[in-house]
Formats: sequence, C-alpha cells, structure tokens
Amino acid sequence: MATQIVMDHTGDTRHYFNADDTEALLKAEGRFKALTSAGFTAAVRDAAGDVTVTRSFDPGAEETLFYPRLVGG
Amino acid sequence: MLAQQLVAATGPVARLLAECARRVQALRERYRTIAAATPEARATTLLREWLSPQQRAQFDAEGYFDVVGCDSGKRYRIHHGTSMNVHEMDKAGYAKSGWCFVPNRRLAAGDVMLAQKIALETCENSALAAANKFAPTQSTFRASRRRPY
Repeated sequence: MATQIVMDHTGDTRHYFNADDTEALLKAEGRFKALTSAGFTAAVRDAAGDVTVTRSFDPGAEETLFYPRLVGG
Repeated sequence: MLAQQLVAATGPVARLLAECARRVQALRERYRTIAAATPEARATTLLREWLSPQQRAQFDAEGYFDVVGCDSGKRYRIHHGTSMNVHEMDKAGYAKSGWCFVPNRRLAAGDVMLAQKIALETCENSALAAANKFAPTQSTFRASRRRPY
C-alpha cells in the first residue's frame, strides 16, 4: 500500500492507496498536483531510507511526504 | 483461627486495592492514547520515522540531530523548535551561525524540523536563500538542548 503524507496542523494526514488500482492512482496523482501547485514540496523516501525531492508524480513511490513552502522566519 | 480472621478482614481491602489498580491502569492507557494523538506527538513520530538511524539516536539522546548540506557539505544542527532552531556548525563543533527558515503554515515542531532536514539535505542552497541568518546566542543554544519529550 503506497502512502501520501501531508503535514498539517494535526501533525499529518495520511492517504493510503493501492498503486495497482488505476482509479486510486489517478486520485493520488491529482492530490500530488494539487498540493505541489499550492506550494508544497514533495519528498520521496525509498526502501533504503534515501530521500529525494520530486516535482513529478511517481506512481512507483511507496511513501511521499508533502511539506509546505519554506520561508524566512 | 487467627489466620482465618486475617483473611476475612483483609479480603475487602485487597479487593478495593485491586479495583484501584485496575482503574489507574485504565486511566494510564487512556492518557497514553490521548497523548499519542496530539499534533506534537504525531509530528515527532513522523520525524523519527524519517530520520536516519544515526540522526534518530542523536535526537533521542540529545534532543537535536545533525544534517549535512547537499550543496556545501557543511554540517547543520537542527534543535527542537519551530523557529531559529537551525545552527551551522564549525569544525570544532560550535554553532557558527543560525539560519531561520520555517514552513509557511503553522506546524508542530517535529514537522518543522523534518521539513528543515529534507530541505538542507536535498536543496540546501534554495533553503538558505529563503532563510534569515542570525547570530546564535548562548541562551538559544542552551534552550534548544532540552530534550523535546
């Protein structure tokens, strides 16, 4: 089961989906585009624990984390 | 005879004590469930999941963890906090300067720290371009050395 994790005021909200399900995958891609358009950064973690930032939806990503835009504090 | 009287006398007390212990246990379990559901606790859990084993061990022991910038190779220390919590470290292990960059939405400390870690490890230059630089003082350094939980 793939996961999209979105940081928010509750800590985070997790969206689980089956990457083999075309409809679920489309929904996940839509969520990815909506969040990145809103300024969120998407980071993907692979099985080895390595993290990369991505700008395009990866249907094979097991875990994608979205965090809001960073600004000077 | 005396033993039977003692058993008879302590029976109700023992039952009362057992009932009290059961209620305390139930309250403790309830508190644990509530505490784990707070934004702070959820963010800390997420942060720990995404830290490397070395960073997790350092965070658990010290309340901060070190990251290496992907562009410069410099070492930064991310302290527990939601602002002014990132220090650039010198080779001797002292805080050289501070960098303040935070998510543009209100998030719990664990989430802020995780976003800072990912930014420094994957796009250091653009993170620092948005950041404000500050001189780390002893007081901010001491305060951020407290264990977060």
